[in-house]
Amino acid sequence: MATVSNWIDHLSAKEVAGAVYPGVGSEGILVLIAFVLWVGWHVISAKQESDKLAKLARKRHGPNDWKSNVTDG
Amino acid sequence: MTDELGALTTIFTEFYYWVTVVLMFLIHVGFCMYEVGASRYKHHQHTLMKNTMLIPLVTVTWFLFGWWIYWAFPTGPGLAPSIMNESAALITDESAFSAKWYVPTSQLMAVNLGDHISGVFWAAFLLFSWTAASIVSGAVIERITTFAFGILAIAIGSVFWTIDAAWGWHFDGWMLKLLGYHDAYASGVIHACAGGFALGILAVLGPRIGKFSSSGEPRNIGPRNPWLVTVGLFLIYTGFWGFYAACNIPIFNLGPEYGMEGVTYFTATNIYVTPTTLSGITFNFLMSLSGGLLAGYVISKGDPFWTYSSGLAGIICASAGNDLYHPIQSMIIGMIGVVVAYKMHYWVERKFKIDDAVGAVAVHGYAGFAGLVICGFVLNGYPSSGYSVGSMWVGTDYAAINPLGMFIGALVMFVVLGFIPGWIIAKVLHGIGKLRIPREVELAGLDYEIMEAAKDDEKSVASASR
Repeated sequence: MATVSNWIDHLSAKEVAGAVYPGVGSEGILVLIAFVLWVGWHVISAKQESDKLAKLARKRHGPNDWKSNVTDG
Repeated sequence: MTDELGALTTIFTEFYYWVTVVLMFLIHVGFCMYEVGASRYKHHQHTLMKNTMLIPLVTVTWFLFGWWIYWAFPTGPGLAPSIMNESAALITDESAFSAKWYVPTSQLMAVNLGDHISGVFWAAFLLFSWTAASIVSGAVIERITTFAFGILAIAIGSVFWTIDAAWGWHFDGWMLKLLGYHDAYASGVIHACAGGFALGILAVLGPRIGKFSSSGEPRNIGPRNPWLVTVGLFLIYTGFWGFYAACNIPIFNLGPEYGMEGVTYFTATNIYVTPTTLSGITFNFLMSLSGGLLAGYVISKGDPFWTYSSGLAGIICASAGNDLYHPIQSMIIGMIGVVVAYKMHYWVERKFKIDDAVGAVAVHGYAGFAGLVICGFVLNGYPSSGYSVGSMWVGTDYAAINPLGMFIGALVMFVVLGFIPGWIIAKVLHGIGKLRIPREVELAGLDYEIMEAAKDDEKSVASASR
């Protein structure tokens, strides 16, 4: 996985390779993973939010009921 | 980097943009404080969370495709040929400024010893993206779902503002060539566009419950915490300094860049690679801020919310030409922007029943639009680029700045890339029932259950003896 194992060898090469992160060449897979995580986050968080809003809506609290929840510290 | 001077220049530029990014983070801190201060107690935590989550959402999408759009779209595509490859297609060739280098799989989009600029420049633009999304965030508080806001934040932060930046900010942008568009510090590119986008959403989203009486008279739902609003806006001013610096290139030799044989001329430039100075824009930033505050204080009769917001509106209105204006011109333009923003806000509110909770459409949208139009008159005849001076509508060279071009440019920013996309996406989200929170939740308060749980926790802790 390590792209660089010896900095002296790396920097004294005729042409110094710029990319030094682990797994150079696997960028496509990393982007695919990021894409799945991004879309997945939306799906999961949207479901969580819908459930939470539906549950709260069912309770039909009045517009001033929240005041009874104010804590005094 | 093998010679010391070249290394110093590169690392200075890298550090310069890095500092601007850190400074610009304060814009987001300010927006968060401002929104929480403006929202009601029962919605505080969700309001903050919504604005916080735009950070990762816009950042990830900016990495995946937003940055690529900026480099790929300057030609439209199809509207004016690139000066780099003379093609009007998307710029995805092998040239130095091609979008090819900014796909997420590119090795330049990572730690790369051969590139000290891409990441900090990417981040500077990303912070602009957060700002664009955050502008929208304030307008829609207390009734939009976090899901819908996330989608809309990505749309404005990683797609539409990026397209307008490619069109009207990139040195190769078609709007510079065809229209003579000039917008040095983003009156339109960020502010008019995000303001228009917010207005498009608001037209679909509707007002908060209680905002309008049964006869249609607007009611004031003022800020609940004036201190948070104050500190928030002051932090936005502070971050705006960083934004101004980030819109400049700190050191550039324009002689060879413009093809002037034997001429060496080092200077700071604006985003269009035309000369300006940090010193000059510092005059103008402060004078336009002052003009905005002075006008805001008078027109709102000393209302703190409007006075502080007006400081921002003043800068935004003058920003299009703040690389070249005289400081007193900046001040006067800032004042005009505030009058336009204030008057338009209340006219639109009454006429169309638009509930813009923090005045975002006014401060960013109307002031930004006005700033572009004014810039067209005050800078009429200045070249929009240093590369070549030409006429409107030609496209192979750069039109001079002019009132008509700037007015059309303002429409492109506010309407074409702002209002229309915002309205369409909001309509789709509304159509699938995901745009607005249920009425019962809006009345109860988005934070009801968090507050209830906190009360129960407190009770159990208070009654504990060990």
